[in-house]
Amino acid sequence: MNLTVAGRRLVLDPRAAYRAGVAEVARTPRPLKVWYSVLLVLMAIGAIGAFLTLAPGTEVFGTTPSFEWGLLIAAYVFFAITTSGLCLGSSLGTVFGIDMFRPLEKRHAILAVLSLTTAFGIIALDLHFPVRMVFGAVFNPSFSSPMWWMGAFYAVYLVFLLVEVWSMFTGHDRVHRYACFASSCTAVLAPLTLGAVFGVLFSRAYWHGPFTPITMLVTALLAGSALLAIVFFFVVRFRLAGFERARRLAIPSIRILLGVALVASLLLLARALVDGLTSADPDLHGATMTLVSGPLAVPFWARSIAGLVIPLAIILIPATRTVAGTGLAGGLVFVGVFVDRLLFVTAGQIIPTTTVGGVVSESFVLYTPSFVEVSIVAAAFALVAFVYTLAERYLDLREAEIHMGFHLPAFMRPWRERMVARLTPAAPVEPIEGTMGGAP
Amino acid sequence: MTEPLTTAVTPEDPAAPELSVAPRVSVAPEVPEPLAQRRIPRRTVLMAGAAALPCLAGSALVVSWLTALADDGAAANGEPIVGAYDPTEHTWGFVVDTNRCIGCGLCVVACKDENDVPEDPEYSRTWVERHTTTADGVVHVDSPQGGINGFEAGVAQMSVEGALVTDVRFVPRLCMQCEESPCTSVCPVGATYRTADGVILIDEERCIGCGYCVVACPYGARYIVPAGPVTPRGVAGVADKCTFCYHRITNGRKPACVEACPVGARIFGDMDDPASPVSVALRRVPTTVIKPDLGTKPHVYYVGLEGEAG
Repeated sequence: MNLTVAGRRLVLDPRAAYRAGVAEVARTPRPLKVWYSVLLVLMAIGAIGAFLTLAPGTEVFGTTPSFEWGLLIAAYVFFAITTSGLCLGSSLGTVFGIDMFRPLEKRHAILAVLSLTTAFGIIALDLHFPVRMVFGAVFNPSFSSPMWWMGAFYAVYLVFLLVEVWSMFTGHDRVHRYACFASSCTAVLAPLTLGAVFGVLFSRAYWHGPFTPITMLVTALLAGSALLAIVFFFVVRFRLAGFERARRLAIPSIRILLGVALVASLLLLARALVDGLTSADPDLHGATMTLVSGPLAVPFWARSIAGLVIPLAIILIPATRTVAGTGLAGGLVFVGVFVDRLLFVTAGQIIPTTTVGGVVSESFVLYTPSFVEVSIVAAAFALVAFVYTLAERYLDLREAEIHMGFHLPAFMRPWRERMVARLTPAAPVEPIEGTMGGAP
Repeated sequence: MTEPLTTAVTPEDPAAPELSVAPRVSVAPEVPEPLAQRRIPRRTVLMAGAAALPCLAGSALVVSWLTALADDGAAANGEPIVGAYDPTEHTWGFVVDTNRCIGCGLCVVACKDENDVPEDPEYSRTWVERHTTTADGVVHVDSPQGGINGFEAGVAQMSVEGALVTDVRFVPRLCMQCEESPCTSVCPVGATYRTADGVILIDEERCIGCGYCVVACPYGARYIVPAGPVTPRGVAGVADKCTFCYHRITNGRKPACVEACPVGARIFGDMDDPASPVSVALRRVPTTVIKPDLGTKPHVYYVGLEGEAG
């Protein structure tokens, strides 16, 4: 008995499936086997770490009551906003019909689903009662809580994304159009509410304020664009499915997204620094000082320079505006965003909560992640990489044939045509080429 | 009389038109065999019964579980939890007199003992801080072991040597039972709530252990219960904090820390009762609350902190 999924025949008979599996492993190139092995080992270690967290109240994290949210919260935020960022960028192709962003469609959708499910997995491990959370959110919703809204938006978002992926691979044009539109709208709302989770907390001066949701949204675009830059670098480098159009259209479009996000991030960072350093609030001033010249200074400046300034320079300087340059910039930004989210979570809690704004015997609440936390986060990255590699190898990730019907307003169409003309070579773009699953 | 919208047509009806396609009318089924004449195999009956039992049991479980959730909801909305006790008749308040506190730490011990709070000072429903003010006006704050062992006289825990100390006072800390409580508004599942008598409680059956209330509390009064031999209410992984010893005050007793304090630095009572110790203290001496600028409207008032609070 066989099952056909996405044009591929899956063997259901156990013996035949085993033989097919063995044959497939034998066919897999050696470098890819090494890659799979490394990821599987990381996932196995992470699985042990995850198992250790299952009993409620077990102290296997490095967090304390004074520093309640640690690496897992930072990783959750990172994966959640990456999901949103992927959709924010790709919606320009899927929703607004801008041609140059269309090669991003399939890959962004798969990465977004992977990233969001990973984020949910991480937060489930951080919660002491994740199952209770699901039922509690449904039967006892607290509408005053930004966390409830964040959970609701991300849950709905996952549904939209799944419908988007399904309709994309099955050719349901009309459903796909509306799913893309819905997921793109949710991609804006979800990181904004995630920012509000932190922004409403007046007890944490560094998090509190209206700019926190905005920064979260911009950081989402930054993370999503960076991940697309990394993925499309490998698409071109290893000549994977649709690599020619990826090289001609996707890479320049990602460069634009990355550039816009980097400039916006730098502006928001400058605003935050000026605001924090000139603030009369001792908690906000103290937290900002820990970043500028305190215990968080090294990662902060390393991230600001290597994760923001250098990538922007790479994108702007003509000599480095290459595929490799874009990939490098994406890699630097991607790592930088993760460090940034960890710094964000840390800086919000590093100033002790005291009776008065006095000098406290322990000036900073310091936190070191435990091995369990590190192993879970490493496994999360490995899981995304592993499943995505499988998708790249076994799914048809060439540009989708179905395109969107939400066209740009008339006054924007000339701009779009000019942009596409600038970025498209004089010779007509050849038909979509490539075969499924080119292996490294 | 209007004609029915659908017509029952049976195969035997001679008036039925010949149709090449299926008619859009409801076709009456064949007259069933009388039930008495039908033979239902015993095996089918037994299997149906066997299948129905777990379904019924499952449904009963789901219904009882949903009912329990609904009941929890009533409790979470501040309904009385003790039979004869009416929370609407009280507004509990707490006054801490820092002029009297000697930093002995007996209150911390009593609280941990009464409420099964873990020994580790990181996890405390109440703790004692020492505020050392130097001549330059700077307040130095420390709280070794949460003050559970008391403060040894003459030993400076902080490096304030060389500076003229102008004031030293001990400041007992606990949940402020805020009227505008940030912890209750951020809880995503309504597990932490304010009762009608002004006490913030936590429903340990509903708390998901996300820690949002812990980071939202501007007073650092909450923690997530660690797994261990001693856990408040026997549950680990949920949020916990001072409840004014709700199980005691709803039965006419004082909180454990108030009873344990040897110098009367902790004063507790009903603010609706003009003769209660709290009402008397609030009338007689000037008090302040901690971080008044946050607008949380605490129900814990401090004597002697006017110069530094905020």
